[in-house]
Amino acid sequence: MGKGVSAGPVSRRRFLAGIGAVASVAVAGRALDVWAPARATAAAAPKLGPGAPGRTLVVVELGGGNDGLNTVVPYADPLYARLRPTLAVADPVDLDGAIGLDPRLGKLAARYRAGQVAIVEGIGYPDPDLSHFASMAVWWSADPEQRGSTGWLGRYLDGTVGFGDPLAGVVIGTGPSPALLGERSFSTTIADGGGLQPRPPAWIDRPGDLVAAWSRFAPARVSTRTLTGQVERAIRLTDDARARLDRDLAGAATPPAPAADGRATAEAVVSDLTLAARLVASPDPPRVVYVSTFGDFDTHQGEAQRHPALVAQLDAAVDAFFTTLESSGAADRAVLMTTSEFGRRPAENGSGTDHGTAAAHFVVGSSVKGGRYGEPPSLSALDPNGNPTMTVDLRSYFAAVLEGWLGVDPEPVVGRGFAPIPLFR
Amino acid sequence: MSKRDVAHVLRRLSIGVHPRLVATLDSADAAVARALDLSAPAPAPLDFPAPTDFASAREIRRIVEPVTWWLEQMRSNPRLIEERLVWFWHDHFATSLQKVRVPYLMYQQQLTIRKHATGSFAELLHAIAKDPAMLLFLDGVTNSARKRNENFGREVMELFTVGRGRYTQDDVVAASRAFTGWVVDIPGRPGLERAAAFGIPPWQSGLVPRRHDAGVKTLLGRTGAFDLDGALDVLLDHPATAPRIAAKLYTELVGSAPDERTAARLGTTLRDHDWQVMPVVETIVHDPAFTSPAARGARVRTPVEKLVGLMQAFPESLPPGTAAAAGRALRTIGYVPFVPPNVGGYPKGTRLLGPHQLVHAFDLLSVFPTAPNVPRRVDDLFAALGLYGVSDRTHAVVSAERDPGRRLALAVASPEYSVG
Repeated sequence: MGKGVSAGPVSRRRFLAGIGAVASVAVAGRALDVWAPARATAAAAPKLGPGAPGRTLVVVELGGGNDGLNTVVPYADPLYARLRPTLAVADPVDLDGAIGLDPRLGKLAARYRAGQVAIVEGIGYPDPDLSHFASMAVWWSADPEQRGSTGWLGRYLDGTVGFGDPLAGVVIGTGPSPALLGERSFSTTIADGGGLQPRPPAWIDRPGDLVAAWSRFAPARVSTRTLTGQVERAIRLTDDARARLDRDLAGAATPPAPAADGRATAEAVVSDLTLAARLVASPDPPRVVYVSTFGDFDTHQGEAQRHPALVAQLDAAVDAFFTTLESSGAADRAVLMTTSEFGRRPAENGSGTDHGTAAAHFVVGSSVKGGRYGEPPSLSALDPNGNPTMTVDLRSYFAAVLEGWLGVDPEPVVGRGFAPIPLFR
Repeated sequence: MSKRDVAHVLRRLSIGVHPRLVATLDSADAAVARALDLSAPAPAPLDFPAPTDFASAREIRRIVEPVTWWLEQMRSNPRLIEERLVWFWHDHFATSLQKVRVPYLMYQQQLTIRKHATGSFAELLHAIAKDPAMLLFLDGVTNSARKRNENFGREVMELFTVGRGRYTQDDVVAASRAFTGWVVDIPGRPGLERAAAFGIPPWQSGLVPRRHDAGVKTLLGRTGAFDLDGALDVLLDHPATAPRIAAKLYTELVGSAPDERTAARLGTTLRDHDWQVMPVVETIVHDPAFTSPAARGARVRTPVEKLVGLMQAFPESLPPGTAAAAGRALRTIGYVPFVPPNVGGYPKGTRLLGPHQLVHAFDLLSVFPTAPNVPRRVDDLFAALGLYGVSDRTHAVVSAERDPGRRLALAVASPEYSVG
């Protein structure tokens, strides 16, 4: 964001969680012409075919802007130590003599050695914006031009399942993700293993079966010609979704309470990724699970303490995800990818790093062809803001999972000219 | 049947339904006249003084006070159309606390919107372009002759005036150049304290001449040394702007978009009345489409409308300071006043019908700390919520409950209460 509005000493997560009245969704499709007639937009939804039923893409959003350089560490490049006199990761887990992972990513490093982790370096978008909001909007929409209002995963759902399955897209977090915003599909947000349950006030009698009573508003056969009919359909779908979640998540552990300052805790992210795994292992798994629990990567200050703790949480959460999947015999059903609105500036700012641009990301799963992809951005040819220049367009990154994992033509979703990276076996 | 028409008119021209007013009005015409009556004095402002330092300015929890105040205006402001238009313009010029981070500035923007909500769109546009919260939200404060930031320059054309497809990147550059140099004096914030040196009072905006690009620009085919006001006038003069704004207003009030001829006609009305909004509103409400049966229930009600409808139904059950519990419910749904999810405004239409949004409609009842006094007769309960002519099914589902609180909860989550 502009220099006047940097997130400063209050972390984004803390900001979002701390206030009673603030939504946790942030900037999305900025170009939405909100009053355009519905017909015009409906026609734009791509037809993508059935996709790949039974396969789930799990997206872990590292909100706030993860420091890619201290995650996938170019320790062999002398410029790295020069740019990071106090913050350089001292003891990276070596991967290939050139790069290493932060040592708190030990379990992920083990999976890398087992050939199940693709590291894609230098991901960004042209003409990068240093605003959290503008950059998140690009990552969510996969459209630097912001020509529409939908998210890239929303367009995928529009073109495959549509309104047919309310649990095709599930966000685990406190609010809907703009990445899953579609024109003709729903996504469902669940905060925890409790599933799709309202939080009515205590004076309401027998709150447990309120939703069941409510579902009786939907007749056996709904007609969606009227808006009321569309509401009835939505009630029916919601009831279906709730029943399936109740079945699939029965006995799910109660999530730990968030820390007093509202930050995500290791327990919370492990709990959320475990929940994601349970959804993947369910009889009708979602196409997309989007985990937006992480929001604290905006390490302008105190990075030496905060960033190692954050990547340790990531390591524990990813491990919990695959361990849960493996114990359910569902390890081949999901691929996990990370996103983040930007990396951080290579040069330190004092005790942390400011907003940057391109960064490395992970794609993990048994179907992944492990190894390094993309190109690490040069640390000697930084842009006028002192940031790296991207080498992989995020649309190619997204195209890789759309084509290689979700089984659809990526072009209607991310546009023409973004060759998918061959990340899959 | 006439009560149903009255309720329809009030739902569209105010926020909520004002059930006590429905009882006193006999026809749609009477309801229109009442809703457009601006003779009552405007509501008293909130006591929300300027922060004395940077740290307290960023106590974002304090947004609860303006949210509470605003919800209270929606519930009770006798100038009904004013509340509908205040929300409409907040959605149009969507600005979020999440980036602005200073509740005081969000409240100040609210006052600016209120001042012009039923007045001139042109004056509102000029005021919003200089509004401190907007300057922070769309990065106007970092837009200088030396280092241009195109965020506002693009959005002001795409969203606020001419609309997409009617300008080029060169126009974005030209507009952004015209907007350069505006800053906000934020006491105590590093880098911006110097605004005070240019005579800009604390928490206000002003032009720093040496940051402004005073050169000649060509904007939408017009050439001149445009400054901020000059560039906005060029945008207002563009033939697409007035029909676009008028059409958006029509969509808000009628529930469907106008055809091109109607939009053009309404745009002409707006221009002919020197950008005054109320003549356009008058024209729209007298269009047969406004009260036609097809318009009834053709709009998805927003969570805020549902909440305010509840507050109007049982005002005696509201505690002082309603926003904390209600705010949590609205946050869950992603629909909080002062926190639009993006610069394009709040979700609308079927986007409000996602599973978790529907289920969490029950959370809105948390606005009442204890059970309200729900009428015993189910028809009276529906009337309290402004619902007339509900389906037999809805009637049966609600009647099947014995507990009055559950009856209320189900009525609030019914298909009929979800549209309007």
